[in-house]
Amino acid sequence: MANFFPRWTNWLPLQMAVAGILIACGLTAATWYYVTPKYTKVGYEPVQPVPFPHDIHVTQLGMDCRYCHSFVEVAAQSNVPNTQTCMNCHTQVQKDNPKLEPVRQSWNSGKPVEWVWLHRTVDYVYYDHSAHVNRGVSCFSCHGDVNHMPVVSIAKPHSMAWCLECHRRPENFLRPQDQVFNLDWKPEDVKPAEFVAKYGQPQGVTEDWSKKKHLTQQEIGQTLKERWHIAPSQNCQTCHR
Amino acid sequence: MKRVFQHPPELPTGKKYWRSLGEYRNTPEFREWLEREFPAGASELNGDEEWSRRDFMKLMGASMALAGLGLTSCRRPEMHLVPFTKSAEWTIPGKFLYYATAMPRRTGAIPLIATTVDGRPVKLEGNPLRPASAGSTDVFAQASVLDLYDPARSRRFVNNGKDSNRAEFEAYIDKLRGQLDGGDGLAFLVEEVHSPTRERLRADLEKAFPKMMWCVYDAGLSEAQGFATSTGFGENVRLVPRFDRADVVFALDSDFLDCGEGDLAGARAFTNRRRVKSANDTMNRLYVVENRFTITGAMADHRVSTPASQIPAFAAALASKIADLTKDSGLTSLLGAIKWPMEGGEESDDQWLNEAANDLVEKSSASIVLAGQHQPVVTQLFAYAINSALKNIGRTVIVREFPRNKNNRSILQLADRINKGEIKQLFIFGGDPVYNAPRAVAQDAENKTPLDWGDLQKRVPEVLRLGYHEDATSAMGRWHVPMAHYLESWGDALTSDGDYLAIQPMILPLFGGLSEIELMNALLGRPKVEGPELVQETFRATKPSGDFATAWSKFLRDGFAAHVPTHDRPASFNSGAAGTVAQELWAAPPAPTTDSPEIVFVRSYAMDDGRYANNAWLQEMPDPITKLTWDNAAIMSPAMAKSLSVETGDLIQISIDEVVKESSDQSVRRELVIAAYVSPGHADNSITIPLGYGRKKTGPLADESGFNAYLLRTAANPHFAVADQKNIEAVRVTKVGKKYPLACTQDHWSIEGRGVVRETTLEGYKEDNNFVEKCAGIDEPQKVLPSLYSHPPMEAAQQWGMNVDLNICTGCSACVIACQAENNIPIVGKLQVQHGRAMHWLRIDRYYASEKKFDEDNGEYPEDPEMVHQPMMCQHCENAPCETVCPVNATIHSEDGLNVMAYNRCVGTRYCANNCPFKVRRFNFFDYNQRPIGKKKIAGEFGIYREYIAPFTEKGAPDITKMQKNPNVTVRMRGVMEKCTFCVQRIEEAKIAAHVRAGASGDNLKIPRDSFTSACAQACPHEAITFGDIKDPESKVSKIKEQDRNYRLLEYLNVKTRMSYLGRIRNPNPKMPDADSIGVACSEEKEKA
Repeated sequence: MANFFPRWTNWLPLQMAVAGILIACGLTAATWYYVTPKYTKVGYEPVQPVPFPHDIHVTQLGMDCRYCHSFVEVAAQSNVPNTQTCMNCHTQVQKDNPKLEPVRQSWNSGKPVEWVWLHRTVDYVYYDHSAHVNRGVSCFSCHGDVNHMPVVSIAKPHSMAWCLECHRRPENFLRPQDQVFNLDWKPEDVKPAEFVAKYGQPQGVTEDWSKKKHLTQQEIGQTLKERWHIAPSQNCQTCHR
Repeated sequence: MKRVFQHPPELPTGKKYWRSLGEYRNTPEFREWLEREFPAGASELNGDEEWSRRDFMKLMGASMALAGLGLTSCRRPEMHLVPFTKSAEWTIPGKFLYYATAMPRRTGAIPLIATTVDGRPVKLEGNPLRPASAGSTDVFAQASVLDLYDPARSRRFVNNGKDSNRAEFEAYIDKLRGQLDGGDGLAFLVEEVHSPTRERLRADLEKAFPKMMWCVYDAGLSEAQGFATSTGFGENVRLVPRFDRADVVFALDSDFLDCGEGDLAGARAFTNRRRVKSANDTMNRLYVVENRFTITGAMADHRVSTPASQIPAFAAALASKIADLTKDSGLTSLLGAIKWPMEGGEESDDQWLNEAANDLVEKSSASIVLAGQHQPVVTQLFAYAINSALKNIGRTVIVREFPRNKNNRSILQLADRINKGEIKQLFIFGGDPVYNAPRAVAQDAENKTPLDWGDLQKRVPEVLRLGYHEDATSAMGRWHVPMAHYLESWGDALTSDGDYLAIQPMILPLFGGLSEIELMNALLGRPKVEGPELVQETFRATKPSGDFATAWSKFLRDGFAAHVPTHDRPASFNSGAAGTVAQELWAAPPAPTTDSPEIVFVRSYAMDDGRYANNAWLQEMPDPITKLTWDNAAIMSPAMAKSLSVETGDLIQISIDEVVKESSDQSVRRELVIAAYVSPGHADNSITIPLGYGRKKTGPLADESGFNAYLLRTAANPHFAVADQKNIEAVRVTKVGKKYPLACTQDHWSIEGRGVVRETTLEGYKEDNNFVEKCAGIDEPQKVLPSLYSHPPMEAAQQWGMNVDLNICTGCSACVIACQAENNIPIVGKLQVQHGRAMHWLRIDRYYASEKKFDEDNGEYPEDPEMVHQPMMCQHCENAPCETVCPVNATIHSEDGLNVMAYNRCVGTRYCANNCPFKVRRFNFFDYNQRPIGKKKIAGEFGIYREYIAPFTEKGAPDITKMQKNPNVTVRMRGVMEKCTFCVQRIEEAKIAAHVRAGASGDNLKIPRDSFTSACAQACPHEAITFGDIKDPESKVSKIKEQDRNYRLLEYLNVKTRMSYLGRIRNPNPKMPDADSIGVACSEEKEKA
């Protein structure tokens, strides 16, 4: 009886198995990389009705975040400014800039400007700005160096694992309260003597930190964490209600 | 160590707690319902009403194909942030704002605090600033916020059936004003709201149109009581009961604990006297005589059920006992006027009556006798005379001035004038007279046939209706004007005890509706108002001290005006006038029989008089007594049902034959086919039908639910119909032979007699302070048991716990609706309720308690059982059985002791629900929030439920429904388990507020003691629910949990619940004949053991 299948088919099951494993690994790896907020979210930079340059306003002109995001310290949501806030200045500055046409239109018609929503958490996540910015977490930790962005984009993945990085180790992110809205702050800016005089040192540290040349983020964070009793909850209910 | 896992079988003797006759008899149907793994699964996708599995598969196949086509893109949806153009004062996006306002009601307004977010009201709470009601609300106040967002509410002006607008309407009003000749032929039909501004404008209208007629009609309002009060105490007064001073309360068919009938402050004062802190405390005592179980009856220490038509005679019998004891001349003369005693008084109840009368007399000037407002005038007069004889007037019954315009007319007088053709223009404000006016409201002059309101309204040339829905009344009028909700309009109102409240709008009228006072203002030809000018003018007349603007803003801030005093009158009961009236009106009431029972019409606990008929929350709220949802029914006693050979759900036909006055050859038969409902504790020979259902043309929900009992209710017999009285010839009840599906939740989530209710008497409590520890069948409670399951450490600084005082809970269900409003709990529709899928996180288990062993063969029924209500929600077990079985860790424990649900993790295995000993977990079987529910015919003749063909229905809730949602709570989707969270959003908000306060400092991060509470605890009109930090020994809840009445459920399972209950105590009079059988469950067990 003739062979139905040619000889090379003997290897087929093995080839299929190997290919299957490779495809499965590839799919897993691709999913791992591409289907996570790190890839899907970071860098999202939609076209806004008005190309608002944060770099000009904050870095060049020295405006504080809270001039526009005025309720960030008291509310869960950090509000986007209403047209009135824009017009406070732009009735006098850049009065005829064509880029500002939507703002002027809104002011005249009473219809709000529809900004494209970047940092949107899903409906079952309840993030509260006021709980963070009042307790030494800077805007920078979540939004990156917005003060240098000509067009604002998402800088951090905003995934749950990313949230937990800070909730597990807050000392890696905490900074003195007066530097929360200073997005250019670096741990090196801290003068150890002043810092230790104001906040003291964590318990069990024998070395005198005020004598150090620089303090690291961990050292600053650990001090503040103990001083302010920062104990971020890792419980579901904290964010999911 | 010996460990009990199964609750021991109940003892054959002693008290038994049961929820339905099915449970009592342990019928196969009940067992089957109980023993299903889940209340109901996909297997009911067949049957007559629904459609077969095969159809389902076909449709699902098709829908899959559609879904493929519908897969449009995988792109991120672009969403927008939309700020204001100009800043709005006080508004912080996403933050709650609170304003004082009030809900106008027929008996008196309820002061409220409205929670608004981003300009929309989302939740209502009681106003805690007003001392009398101290922040209490009721079911209707809680649910009224949903009415604001009713998708079926009226959105347009209608002129002769055609769309119109406000400008045209105003032009019409201007023209009309010129034609009104002194108001001859002008009439107003309004509802009772007690608004001083409305009264002021009405007086102005009467000046402009002196011949106009003003008529107040409210189906739930009794004219008998008003008439009796003015007879006994003079005009312009109202009697205010002072329960805080009453040791003994005797209710003659009076449901004063129902907030719709009584008032919240009074109900709270009553339950305050039952707040027992230790065995040395005293309690008030409540006697109730009624035909059906009411929530007042459920609280009673001694209760007698007797037909409503026999209660006047009961009142007379009680009066004669009290007259014997007090020798009061007024009472004696009143009894003389009706020639009491009649022949053959009821002997059997003699001891009961004697001892009750003795008790009342002993507590002279510290007792109250109350007559239900639907009782005839004579019963009211007897109640007043007894109070007078007991020297209660001025002590426990305050006679308070409550000005009423003497030109108020009744709907009968209006009907008479319409019938004579004298009314040309009729303004109807609110109500729905075509639906709820009494039948036979007038008589045709020629052929003598009785006329209903609908017939009469057609005869009026110009009918102008200000209505919330475009209902049957609007359809028969010339103009329909959309009415503004009270949360959309300026106004004012008086409470039931006469305090002056402000009503301020929370939002502009959503659909351009007008309020009553705006319309009256327009009719007066005065300039249009946009703001509070009309109310301000009334307020100015009260002469507030100091600067007006300051006084006005304080009035709005507080919600009430403390400077407006109330006046009490030192009135005495006018027994002479009462005697004359009683003599005229007294007629020996014929006794109803099994063949010819009485038919009693009562307001529904859910629909009121039908005004909330399109309110989804109220439609789905289980009635506190019957546990029926979405329907009313003819409620009758088991004995009555047996003699008719009907069971719950059988359709019966009720027919009432009436003679027609002035026409000997005519008679009228009124018929109603309605489902029967068997209710133990109901009086025999009596059938109770709640009103308010079957209101057609109002909205999709109202259209599909219940039976319209107004069809049987005539002007001559508005409260009960009994044969041989007035114009009624015969009352007949026959079985139709068909079944009607009722959605009744009484057997759902059964706890199967595991000793969850503990009760005793006040005497028993004194003897044994730890009565709650004795649970039937468990010898010794085992305190410390090892646990195999490891927990996250519960070491947070604050630990949450709750307590419910069963002694105070009346079962009114305000908490159920408050929870629904706070936590975005969807309604599921009648079909799903029938399958046991109602979503209420907080349910109220209603138990009957009786002693007698049931023996059906001998025709014995549990007679006069007692009733206990037990609110049941997630118990937040520290050793939670649900947590151990979740395969995905979606339900876990938090460090502050909550059993929390992460909805986004839940995959819907439902293991947790299966393992919950309290059956408090709820599963989203369908996308209740996103898809339409309820029946709709879609494919030919099939009656198909929309939820089963979800992919073919429109997705997404209408915007108007979304506006009510609490933004702080996730709206859950299909396939997700949910349950009570102890209002975790409120806990977290409070925590965050504490953190923000502390800021960059090491200050105290604790939430201030008792600074917030859960939605149910806040809504409870009686403060029966307490929530707080159990780690803080000074918190309210810790103090309550220290009481010896405190007990936890199913302790032998070592679940360590964070919820606990305070045992129920009844306070029977030891001399009463039935004293031995009242509230003795626990002590009885003790003796047997």
